[in-house]
Amino acid sequence: MLRKKLPFLHSLLSPVSRHVGNLTGHQYDVIVVGGGHAGTEAAAAAARVGAETLLITQKIHTIGALSCNPSLGGVGKGQLVKEVDALDGLCGRAGDWAGIHFSILNRRKGPAVWGPRAQLDRQRYRDFIQSELLSTPRLTVVEGSVEELLVTEPNPEEPGHHRVTGIRLANGSHAISARSVVLTTGTFLSGSLFMGQTTSPGGRIGDAPSSAGLSHTLRERLGLRTGRLRTGTPPRIVKDSVDLSLAKLHLPDSHPTPFSFLNTHTHCKPEEQLPCYLTFTTPGVERVVRESLQLNCHIQQDTKGPRYCPSIESRVLRFPGRSHQVWLEPEGVTSDLLYPQGLSMTMPPDIQLRLIREIPPMRRAEIHTPGYGVQYDFVCPTQLSPALQVKSTQGLFLAGQINGTTGYEEAAAQGLWAGANAARSALSMPTVTLSRTESYIGVLIDDLVSRGVTEPYRMFTSRAEFRTSLRPDNADLRLTPKGFEEVGCVSSVRYQESLRVRNSLQDALTALQALFLSTSRWKKKLPSVPISETKSTLLTGLDLLQYNDVTFEMLASAFPESLSSFMEFAQRLKIEAVYKPHCDLNKKEIERIQREENMSLPQDIDYFSLPVSLSDEVREILDRVRPSTLGAATRLEGITPAAVVNLLNYVRVTEKKKETHRNQRQQEAQR
Amino acid sequence: MLPLRPVCGGIWRAAVHTVRMSRGAPPYRLLSSTCDGAPAALADADTIFALSSGHGRCGVAVVRVSGPASATALRCMAGFTQRLPPPRTALLRSITDPRSTEVLDRGLVLWFPAPRSFSGEDSVEFHIHGGPAVVTAVLQALGSVPGLRPAEAGEFTRRAFQAGKLGLTEVEGLGDLIHAETEAQRRQALRQMSGELGRLYQDWSDRLKRCLAHVEAFIDFSEDELIEDGVLNRVDVSVSDLQAEIERHLKDERRGERLRSGVQVVIAGATNAGKSSLLNKLCQRPAAIVSPIAGTTRDVVETALDLGGFPVLLSDTAGLRDSSDLVEREGVRRARERVEQADLTLVVVDSAHLPSEVDRAAAFLREHLRSVLPDTDRCLLVLNKADLLPEKQRQKLDTELRGVSGLPAVRLISCQTNEGLKAFLTVLHSSVKTLCGDPLFGAPTLTQARHRAHLQRCAAALAQYQRYRDTDLALAAEGVRLAVTSLGRITGRVGAEEILDIIFKDFCIGK
Repeated sequence: MLRKKLPFLHSLLSPVSRHVGNLTGHQYDVIVVGGGHAGTEAAAAAARVGAETLLITQKIHTIGALSCNPSLGGVGKGQLVKEVDALDGLCGRAGDWAGIHFSILNRRKGPAVWGPRAQLDRQRYRDFIQSELLSTPRLTVVEGSVEELLVTEPNPEEPGHHRVTGIRLANGSHAISARSVVLTTGTFLSGSLFMGQTTSPGGRIGDAPSSAGLSHTLRERLGLRTGRLRTGTPPRIVKDSVDLSLAKLHLPDSHPTPFSFLNTHTHCKPEEQLPCYLTFTTPGVERVVRESLQLNCHIQQDTKGPRYCPSIESRVLRFPGRSHQVWLEPEGVTSDLLYPQGLSMTMPPDIQLRLIREIPPMRRAEIHTPGYGVQYDFVCPTQLSPALQVKSTQGLFLAGQINGTTGYEEAAAQGLWAGANAARSALSMPTVTLSRTESYIGVLIDDLVSRGVTEPYRMFTSRAEFRTSLRPDNADLRLTPKGFEEVGCVSSVRYQESLRVRNSLQDALTALQALFLSTSRWKKKLPSVPISETKSTLLTGLDLLQYNDVTFEMLASAFPESLSSFMEFAQRLKIEAVYKPHCDLNKKEIERIQREENMSLPQDIDYFSLPVSLSDEVREILDRVRPSTLGAATRLEGITPAAVVNLLNYVRVTEKKKETHRNQRQQEAQR
Repeated sequence: MLPLRPVCGGIWRAAVHTVRMSRGAPPYRLLSSTCDGAPAALADADTIFALSSGHGRCGVAVVRVSGPASATALRCMAGFTQRLPPPRTALLRSITDPRSTEVLDRGLVLWFPAPRSFSGEDSVEFHIHGGPAVVTAVLQALGSVPGLRPAEAGEFTRRAFQAGKLGLTEVEGLGDLIHAETEAQRRQALRQMSGELGRLYQDWSDRLKRCLAHVEAFIDFSEDELIEDGVLNRVDVSVSDLQAEIERHLKDERRGERLRSGVQVVIAGATNAGKSSLLNKLCQRPAAIVSPIAGTTRDVVETALDLGGFPVLLSDTAGLRDSSDLVEREGVRRARERVEQADLTLVVVDSAHLPSEVDRAAAFLREHLRSVLPDTDRCLLVLNKADLLPEKQRQKLDTELRGVSGLPAVRLISCQTNEGLKAFLTVLHSSVKTLCGDPLFGAPTLTQARHRAHLQRCAAALAQYQRYRDTDLALAAEGVRLAVTSLGRITGRVGAEEILDIIFKDFCIGK
């Protein structure tokens, strides 16, 4: 159910921010730096796990701001939102609260690749996230700018290894200590803004740039490799100045589907949803881009930008002579702005105006805020463990754009996982990992830490090998029990609900399998279904449910006594039935990968002196990437089967030695 | 025991695949018609087989089967319809082809139920006559049993390892063993892939990757981007073309290239060292033109011969030197390619070019070897034209060069006077014998069987695309993914990034 606690918001805000001065000398379990999608999920997750948590952000009122597009989810990204929700994160429920236009993308392409998506009201989204955070037990929120990350001197026994001890704030050099720190600095790490020929330091227009101190600590003090990426955002258009009758109307789903497994409906009523509009670029747009190239320094630089979220400049330059799509999206129920999806640009403001006026519905459009580009530092994520902890610095976790990703959903997913692990680490519990065989979050993190990035990383369903098993509909079954039992980031209410769902689905599948009829009897029961009698003489209800034109509702009305109690799960059961044979086929491969992922490779191995037979080339790759598990090692390019077996052997032998050692010590202790 | 029932064509399949075990847990059969025994990847649940005795002429060949369907193989190939034979007991049986019920051989069969077998799994051994025809027939028959596929490199050993059947000392050698196996298979695959067949597979692989990229683009981007429905229609055409081509290829057994069987021995070296003379000496007839003019041999000259009972394919290659002559340059390129694929290389050196001091001669030879070969594990050094050396130097070289570190076996010979040839032949014979005794070594029939298995899976996976094309594109795409993976096992792995590269090259993804 949607909890309405927004009215309390403003009464909560002021006392918190006033306490900054008192924090000095206070010991927190976890400090989260940054209040974007990664930071908010990280802080909330850390507090849920049980850590005393402090969230530091420049301005409390920009917590949960949607800096770019006013939407959540989509193909691949929607799966991430469902998974974050299954782990009791915020963004799914926030989306259900703030959504004003819900649709399931890919509806006709199969449930495994359905993409739940919503246009959001920016203000409502921010309100929800802020009220949620400010009412989270064990979580304190404070305004401030972090000047420095505090770390110990390198461990003399392990050169280059540090431990995090806290942070220092910019104003008045407050030091606040913590066992774990999660950095979610987004585009603010040495960020610079680009518009036309001017650049200025900053991570988002209207906000102060972050201090150079943090960047310095990461690079100079901790010796982390960093790189530079770029992104951009389109100008915001005044809605009244656009002739929407010249664009194609795009309606939402008539029955909005909530993101969250806990919600049965969305806050927005179906009939109150707002439409989007579709229009296209013209040859005039391309002309303006070409004429203004010399005035556009963001585009002239060769910092890596994403191939899939390019500016209008790179779109027309890479694919000239085409008409490109532009979506005009609402920014909120009361907002008088439109967001032109696909028109991210960095030229001078006057030329931006010329450009948009080349598009028919915007012939007389006015720009409210011009578009701009951002360049920022990221930390090469191969330096992180699968718990998103910096390998060389105990207690330091990174999440979001700082790891080279793009997108709210990617940031939220990492934030949740980094926050949960930061809390576990601070509370002296072992960190936990998610496998790429069980979740998109696992795919995301594994891709980041074992392969690194060369351009901003975005999730696609094509990145998941086991796409037919990792579906949006079953994210709760995949993750909620684990989130409660192994991670501790899921409330018991949600856990109980997931168990109820799991058991009901199990019972329903059993009931379906127990319906065991001859084809002729099935024909009598379901006369409209073409059942071939040559196939087999006996079929179960589950077999029937795999037929294209058979729904669970049809079976339930034919066998009300055994099936009608499961009507709530009609759609999920249909999907389970269709996908079950495929998932069963995947199972063996999944088990093999999980076996390999369970064999961890010690992080301090000196691969160059390891007394096993490995080629120099393999040693170099292993030394550079330092895979955390044997599974991650097998996925590296250039690693031979022989190398894997030798590593496997090494792991087994060392484990055996450790075990013997442990046993001996235990025996000694008993004596 | 599992009940059996006959399926079309006389193939017997174990009940696990077709017969319901109980009312409660029916097996899912939606995919069983096409994906039987073809799960997403090479899972351990597969049953594998391989020739585990040496290749070449030998009295008895041993074919090993391991995995859950081993019993099925035993039932349908050794005629155990009622009950399986007692464990670990050799029985003389007629071994038949399950497709035609034709008797292939009479031999011993042994049944090792899990866990008491080499691999820890259910396992069967067929001890059959060693002729290549019988071995090939039995391997092909095994390949037709549902659930069975040829073993990948090191797979038997790996399974034994996973089952905890290997001691620590054995395990230490395992990595090297797998290295040797992959190396032997790599060389074998290079031979198969460097011809017309290789180009065919590569073409299929490229087209399949494109199909996959376009389906993935349609799934991941079509809702927001301009990716028109026409893309999918083009994929439909491509997929059905590919499926038809692969199936035709599988039916037309003659189309496969002539398999080069036998130990691949390559003669290589500088021009005018006497390589062609050596070839002619070895095959005792003038197969190659010999002249005192450097660069006479410009292409690879191949001769098959029987060396003390072992099949050898001897190739003479162009002398290695930088040349401005286009034809000769191509000859040199081919020579290097052949050396790369060789099981054994005879590096021929003109002794007259050797420095007279032994130390300097050894250094010269080491340097020379490096210019000819990637590694010196599989080669013999032949110092030809020994007759041109003074007697004293000849003896000194002959005795002192042996056992110099960093050099392979060295033999001084003269193709002119036949001096040293006999001793050289003894060394060559023992090297070839060692290679043939190694069960890993080039069994082209196995490579071919492996290719067939992967191609069959590929075609079946493409059928899955067509079955789900209109109802569930995610499941249809799964078919193309499976096809890419199967073909990738022949042509090389395909990663997600490669597919994304094609997507971004072909479409303007603007969101």
